[in-house]
Amino acid sequence: MNPFTDKSSVMIFKISFKNVWRNKVRSFIVIIAITLGLAGGIFTASIITGMVEQKIRTGINNEVSHIQVHNPEFLKNYESQYSIPHADSIAGIISKMPSVRAVCSRTRITGMAASPNSVAGVQIVGVDPLQEKKVSSLNTTIPDSGGGYFKGSRKNQVVIGRKLADKLKVRLKSKIVIRFQNTDGNLTEAAFSVNGIFQTSNTTFDETNVFVKKRDLDLLTGGDNGIQEIAIMLDNIEKIPVAETALRTRLPGLDVENWMEIRPDMAMVTSAIAIEVYILLGIILFALAFGIVNTMLMIVFERTRELGMLMAVGMSKSKVFRMIMVETIFLTVIGSIIGMVLSVALVGFFHQRGIDLSSVSKGLGAYGFDPKIYPFISSELYINLSLMVFCTGILSAIMPARKALKLKPVEAIRLE
Amino acid sequence: MNIIEIKNLSKVYDVKTIPVYALNGIDLAFREGEFTSIVGPSGSGKTTMLNLLGGLDSPTGGEIRIDNIDITGLKSRKLIDFRLRNIGFVFQSFNLIPVLTAKENVEFIMQLQGVSKARRDKRTFELLKSVGLGDKINTRPNKLSGGQQQRVAVARALASKPKFILADEPTANLDSKSAENLLEIMEKLNKEEHITFIFSTHDARVVAKARRVITLEDGKIVGDVLKN
Repeated sequence: MNPFTDKSSVMIFKISFKNVWRNKVRSFIVIIAITLGLAGGIFTASIITGMVEQKIRTGINNEVSHIQVHNPEFLKNYESQYSIPHADSIAGIISKMPSVRAVCSRTRITGMAASPNSVAGVQIVGVDPLQEKKVSSLNTTIPDSGGGYFKGSRKNQVVIGRKLADKLKVRLKSKIVIRFQNTDGNLTEAAFSVNGIFQTSNTTFDETNVFVKKRDLDLLTGGDNGIQEIAIMLDNIEKIPVAETALRTRLPGLDVENWMEIRPDMAMVTSAIAIEVYILLGIILFALAFGIVNTMLMIVFERTRELGMLMAVGMSKSKVFRMIMVETIFLTVIGSIIGMVLSVALVGFFHQRGIDLSSVSKGLGAYGFDPKIYPFISSELYINLSLMVFCTGILSAIMPARKALKLKPVEAIRLE
Repeated sequence: MNIIEIKNLSKVYDVKTIPVYALNGIDLAFREGEFTSIVGPSGSGKTTMLNLLGGLDSPTGGEIRIDNIDITGLKSRKLIDFRLRNIGFVFQSFNLIPVLTAKENVEFIMQLQGVSKARRDKRTFELLKSVGLGDKINTRPNKLSGGQQQRVAVARALASKPKFILADEPTANLDSKSAENLLEIMEKLNKEEHITFIFSTHDARVVAKARRVITLEDGKIVGDVLKN
């Protein structure tokens, strides 16, 4: 007989639902425990995923973009002589491909930045500021007090990170010397004026990258330093696999990588955090399961005589089992629904406002995390969590339901 | 016609490895439409007899045939289904489900049997009316008196159209007026609808109403009187 069309199933559901409200105080305590446990767990998970999501978003927007194209030899030792041949026409082709929102070409040279006080090894990135702004939002990380992003038309301007500025002990309009080996192998150096100081959430990036106009670099070396990197932003991150495949087909001699391949550390954090979130929620649900089992066992003991009567008058053991299961699931589902609603409200509220941890999170920046966190939970996690809660309800119900099955009606009905 | 036949029935409990006979070699038969009291002092075997007749407990020896089916040989699942379709129970402590109304308490037996809603509604109303609770169908047990609760229990026992009803000390928790009222209802159901009742009781009023009185002592029948 189909358990969902069986007439007695309706009755079992009805009795189970009414039984949930039999001892209101106890049921409310269990429901509140589930609600708070779940909401707390989801909110904590949302903070963690929010941090990671933000790290990835800012990492993509400020540093790596969705896809990058390089000469395969360049990636071995980052030697600038391995540039992308016919880079301009390739960039033109890429910009016309579907889903491509913006493209920019960069010169990348490993060099040194020096001030009268200090010296640091850096990646010198030669950019076309107008093109760059379409792909990277680095310009938006320059605070009001940090100058501008290649403001004015003066030659030899440099935009550096806050961390590097502190290390070199320079300020806006200070001069720093940039030194590098040109494509012919000759050492070249020139003084650049600090035009802007950016500050991303990744202090390592801020310390190791300096941005100059590509035109200034070429003038300095008296020739074209080539394009070592083409950065691509798509209109949607989900389209990366399709765009990547298309690019690989069209650019067979070049290396096409997505952000996860360029920054495996970021990709690893994403997957590690996802596992962590599930472990955290698993622990919370495991603890809740004990509470539910305890309550339901108490209920079975309290109702021994009634359960004995039900079995005596002809309710099968499977139906008694189902009744206790349904009752437990009801309790769990009610608590879970309220917990979910509460967590949606909490996550939504703090997603809008953000949680500012700047006063207690100086170390976060070193790992590329923004001190202002915007909690976030994906709908996928909500769905998975609902399934986890449902499974917890079922698993928690098994022990009390089995206990009910072991009752002997002849003994149970006599119990006072 | 006999609806219950008991042959050489015995039930032995081991108390500290010493066998104690709750029932010892009982031979008995019950006819359809009987109104029987099983009486005897505490420990005489009344309740054991009712438990065995109701298939709630298994005997140590002998057989119980109900409508020619030996219920002692039935497996657990079949026995539960047999109880559902053939035996009605009235317990000393009423044992109603407190979260259900009087109607729902009566109805759920029929739901277990798979009876359609229309038939359930009709029969539930008729049964509650027959026990004088036609105006209490939507009342929960905690709003009913002890006597009214036991009447709901009688209606519930009748709901499955059983071959007989086993009532274990049905009047023990009732005041004399409620007990009298309940007995009248059961007597009327017996006379008018030929429903077979088997009671275990200490109550002299029940014994007085019964048309057959079986007396047990130390697990044996010491008296079986059929009144006119």
